[in-house]
Amino acid sequence: MTSSAIQFIWNNKILKIDNPDPNETLLNFIRLKIKKTGTKEGCAEGGCGACTVVLAELKKNTLTYKAINACISFVTILQGKQLILVEDLSNNDGSLHPVQKAMVDYHGSQCGFCTPGFVMSLFALTKDYSSYTEENIKDSISGNLCRCTGYRPIMDAAKSLNNKNRSDKFVKNKKKIINLLKKIKSENINIKNKNKKYFAPTTVTELKKIIKDYPNSNFLSGGTDLSLIVTKDRKDIDNIISLNSINELNFIEKKNENIIVGASTPLREFELFIKKYYPDFASILNRYGSVQIRNVATIAGNIATASPIGDTLPLLLSLDAKVVLQSLNKKTILPLKNFFVSYRKTKLKKRQFIHSIIIPIFKKNIFKAYKISKRIDDDISSVCASFNLEVKNKKIKNIKIAYGGMASIPKRAINCEKNLINTNISEENIEKTKKTLEKDFKPISDMRASKNYRMEIAKNLLMKCLMEIKNNKLLRLN
Amino acid sequence: MSKNIFVNEKRPHDSASKHVSGYADYTDDISEPKGTLHGAIGWSKKSHALIKKIDLSEVWKSEGVISVIGYKDIPGRNDVGPVFDGDPIFSPNKVEYYGQPLFAVAAISTELARKAVLKAKVIYKVLKPIVTIKEALKKKKFVLKGIKIQRGNPSNAIRKSKNQLKVNFTTGSQEHFYLEGQVALAIPKEDNDFLVYSSTQHPSETQQIIAKMLNQKSNSVTVLVRRVGGGFGGKETNFMTSAICSLLAYKTRKPVKLRLDRDDDIIITGKRHDFYSESEVGFNSLGIIEGLKIKLSSRCGISPDLSGAINGRAIMHIDNAYYIPHIRVQNYLCKTNTASNTAFRGFGGNQGMMVIENIIDNISRYLNKDPCQIRKNNFYQKKKKNITHYGMKIEDNVIQEIFNKLVKKSNYKKRYSKIKKFNQKSKYLKKGIAITPVKFGISFTTTHLNQAGALVHIYTDGSVHLNHGGVEMGQGTNTKIAQLVANELGLSFEKIKISSTNTSKVPNTSASAASSTTDLNGAAALDAVSKIKQNLEKFIKKKYNIKNIKIVYEKGLIKFNKKSFKFETIIKEAYLNRISLSSSGFYSTPKIYFDKKTFSGRPFLYFCYGAAVTEVTIDILTGENIVERVDILHDAGKAINPALELGQIEGGFVQGQGWLTIEEVNWKTNGQITTVSPSTYKIPAVSDMPKKFNVEIFKQGKNKENVVNKAKTTGEPPLMLAMSVFYAIKDAIASVGKYKKIPILDAPATPEKILMSLNELKNRFNHIR
Repeated sequence: MTSSAIQFIWNNKILKIDNPDPNETLLNFIRLKIKKTGTKEGCAEGGCGACTVVLAELKKNTLTYKAINACISFVTILQGKQLILVEDLSNNDGSLHPVQKAMVDYHGSQCGFCTPGFVMSLFALTKDYSSYTEENIKDSISGNLCRCTGYRPIMDAAKSLNNKNRSDKFVKNKKKIINLLKKIKSENINIKNKNKKYFAPTTVTELKKIIKDYPNSNFLSGGTDLSLIVTKDRKDIDNIISLNSINELNFIEKKNENIIVGASTPLREFELFIKKYYPDFASILNRYGSVQIRNVATIAGNIATASPIGDTLPLLLSLDAKVVLQSLNKKTILPLKNFFVSYRKTKLKKRQFIHSIIIPIFKKNIFKAYKISKRIDDDISSVCASFNLEVKNKKIKNIKIAYGGMASIPKRAINCEKNLINTNISEENIEKTKKTLEKDFKPISDMRASKNYRMEIAKNLLMKCLMEIKNNKLLRLN
Repeated sequence: MSKNIFVNEKRPHDSASKHVSGYADYTDDISEPKGTLHGAIGWSKKSHALIKKIDLSEVWKSEGVISVIGYKDIPGRNDVGPVFDGDPIFSPNKVEYYGQPLFAVAAISTELARKAVLKAKVIYKVLKPIVTIKEALKKKKFVLKGIKIQRGNPSNAIRKSKNQLKVNFTTGSQEHFYLEGQVALAIPKEDNDFLVYSSTQHPSETQQIIAKMLNQKSNSVTVLVRRVGGGFGGKETNFMTSAICSLLAYKTRKPVKLRLDRDDDIIITGKRHDFYSESEVGFNSLGIIEGLKIKLSSRCGISPDLSGAINGRAIMHIDNAYYIPHIRVQNYLCKTNTASNTAFRGFGGNQGMMVIENIIDNISRYLNKDPCQIRKNNFYQKKKKNITHYGMKIEDNVIQEIFNKLVKKSNYKKRYSKIKKFNQKSKYLKKGIAITPVKFGISFTTTHLNQAGALVHIYTDGSVHLNHGGVEMGQGTNTKIAQLVANELGLSFEKIKISSTNTSKVPNTSASAASSTTDLNGAAALDAVSKIKQNLEKFIKKKYNIKNIKIVYEKGLIKFNKKSFKFETIIKEAYLNRISLSSSGFYSTPKIYFDKKTFSGRPFLYFCYGAAVTEVTIDILTGENIVERVDILHDAGKAINPALELGQIEGGFVQGQGWLTIEEVNWKTNGQITTVSPSTYKIPAVSDMPKKFNVEIFKQGKNKENVVNKAKTTGEPPLMLAMSVFYAIKDAIASVGKYKKIPILDAPATPEKILMSLNELKNRFNHIR
């Protein structure tokens, strides 16, 4: 079945939009079409959280609630979901939702412009967790900027919710919403709006058909980067193929000694899964974008974008990850280190898409990763470093090192690796070998960091990693 | 007489319930009149150039475009400079900064307008830009002539001092990053009148600028501001958006909305002035400053804007809380090919204070003494050493009390020695601690701006309508003034309604700035209330035939002569007896005067005081750092609403912390700004908040001057408490030189700057050793 309309729930009703403009952002749809102005535009790039809304989705016969940035989502993201806006939280009699009331009671708003976004992020938090800790509250609002309060009252408001009754109108309406969502059938979406086309196939077979017919399309897998073409460059994207509705590509599994992640798996789900195997991987992801971004951004999107500062990439490189490429008639497996060609260029060919990522589990190895940026939350790395090594009797048997932010692509430090294999971990030794990084990398200066600083911290992170191993003690600020 | 029931009350912001439920309307949320058009600004892609040709034919042809305007469409003044000219709306033949507006478009949607402006073809003849302070100093390019002030004979005093130091120091710029960007909605009315909704801190000046631009009288333009989504100074004089929006409405005869997107907002509008200083100081073995000479330069951008006043305030705060007997400051207002820098919370005061705090920090390290003690040794005193370098006697000094209390409360001394021990043992992570004071002068330093108006109506049902000249931008001024008025009339808070700031209700107002909004407008509102009360009193005395009896307004009642009436009842009676129940109010700050020629007088009604202790940990391998603990003691006088004051203190601190640590504005050498959105410009996020954050309002606080409720404002001063973060970082850096060398660190102390400072210090230390 194919449909030219998207269907979603808002205000307990199923709404249908026939052939929407696939370049229309969800935020513009909310503010200009349904004329609800509580959701604000602060930056149009997913960097401030003022546009945060929540989407509820049917999963395993229950609802999951995700905070997302409406400013960098296209309206098509609504397909099959319930849209929840800040105006929808308070009750019909005007009484406030517990999250809203806490924000008032703890003086969590000053100018109030960022407040709806915070309210929505905290609302999603209350749906996601049963108790609210310093850690999960901070995580949930790390993508919301407030210029007035300094955050303390917002933190206190969130903590106070621990003692509040968790029932709200969404709990009471749950069954009704589930039934409504079930009424929206999962079908291929095929939209034509003037010269723009949008496809959201539900199966790989259907996907292949579309790719064959429209080889010059842009893939949307999350779309947190792709949408900036519209919101920042002010250009149209004519053909979009969304991978987000293909359940076959949304999976994480452990198979033998590998973790396999489907292309359209959101980073947020991957983050929770990988924690058990590589805790440092999860800590880096925790500082990668914001919850709103990670709820939609995907690992395949990250790889296909091939940004030199995409934080998952150096980590995957040092873990010897492989990328599974699917063309119309075959699958190829390529080591990730061979996938990146030059600045934002990859070996992905026309009529080919990323199917999944294979991440080996190194049981005997030590895996460490570090991210250096100006700000702790939601910032792009000056340098991101990742180390995967096997150590025996204080001797390095095997080591894989990769850096982001040090070259036009995320890259392994081959020379440095060579010099470290079969050496003892000692400060003197590292002092000597860290200079080989200058052979591996020629970083550039930009608004985030100078080339000298980049090289310096690349060296120092090597030192930090090995000193942590040598002394068996973490050297971290947090 | 009335009883204090509503003041000193921790009541939520009057819009809080609307903020959290999405029903607080900002300018962009106002429902648009039918046929509203949408604007976008086309701006220069060069920082310094002559315009050889500008071809807008493709812009005109672009989908949805209704009108395109340029400098030729301006009937009146082509400038939005508030005091001086220099900020052309559309520059005719020359561009002086990357982002300078050249033309604008009105189209049927914002998206189409923004697409259209990209289609302009401009041919430039590029000229060499001046980007940095040092380049401007070298080329002697200034926006205004800088003043020179001197007390005593500093050269002589420095020469005679036991110790001398030379210190060069920079503090960085800062983007306001109000969450709501610049936006205006202009609606043409009959007789060529305009109704303009604008996100501005200064409705009256917006009105005048638009009138002058249109070559019309001020009475033809009305400006309305219900609320502003953060201002911080960035909406005090940035009139470009409302001016261009009004011009588009004038040209098309249609309502027009103009909302800058985040990138355009950051690119087009000015920011905080960065400052560079070269100082020479002489001091004795107790670290007491005997003589000080400072060359103080700031990056002003292309025009004077408010740079004169900002630099003036910097000079007036170059002493912070310290007595400096012999001092000379020579000020340079550098002209650069960057957006015209403007007001930003602190308004130069904080930049001035950072200069002296850095000098004192260096003195302490030179003498190898605890900077806390050296700061104390230099404090202004109560009976002597109490005249500032601009001739004002300090009569309300409480810095010693605050400082001593905080040292005790924060356990500073014990932690100071504990940290030194920690650093001996810890190789890669180092801790630092610092305590810094704040003394900040309150009043506009331009004396005539210290006036305010208000308008109060009481309707026959006893409800009260209140207008004043201040703009609600998150600071809670409406809430506090409503509390004052409710208190004065003995009514519950809910009876008081404050509506939009409106130039047709209260005229000729000053900007909501200089931390003075509630002081000035609150007093004006109380003046209006007292006039209505006088009318009521006359009426009551006549009607009930009483003399010299106190009338008490309390709990919704009016009581006199052992009788008690409902407020509404008396009001209704007064109305029926033809008594006026409406009045304007006015206030002008007493006592203040200032002679700009001699740079002396009493520019401030009073001073705000506070102090903060900050402890940080830095990672010497990466320069990353974390604020472990902050203790603040701040004087808010007798606070009108302690909860809102606390919000200002904490929020101001974190904003100051951003200024001094992670917020870095970057320009390429060709003058193009590169930090233009939240992906490249970082304001503090939740994890930057101090891990422990103990903030207390000074309980003994009380304003000596006759200010509403004897309160002290908390608008700007708390920002400067964050200086302690910077000096704690510097203290941690000093540990790698075993506290024997003075670190060289400029603000903002980004991880990169910290690492470079550590490396430089290590080299110097190892070299000497």
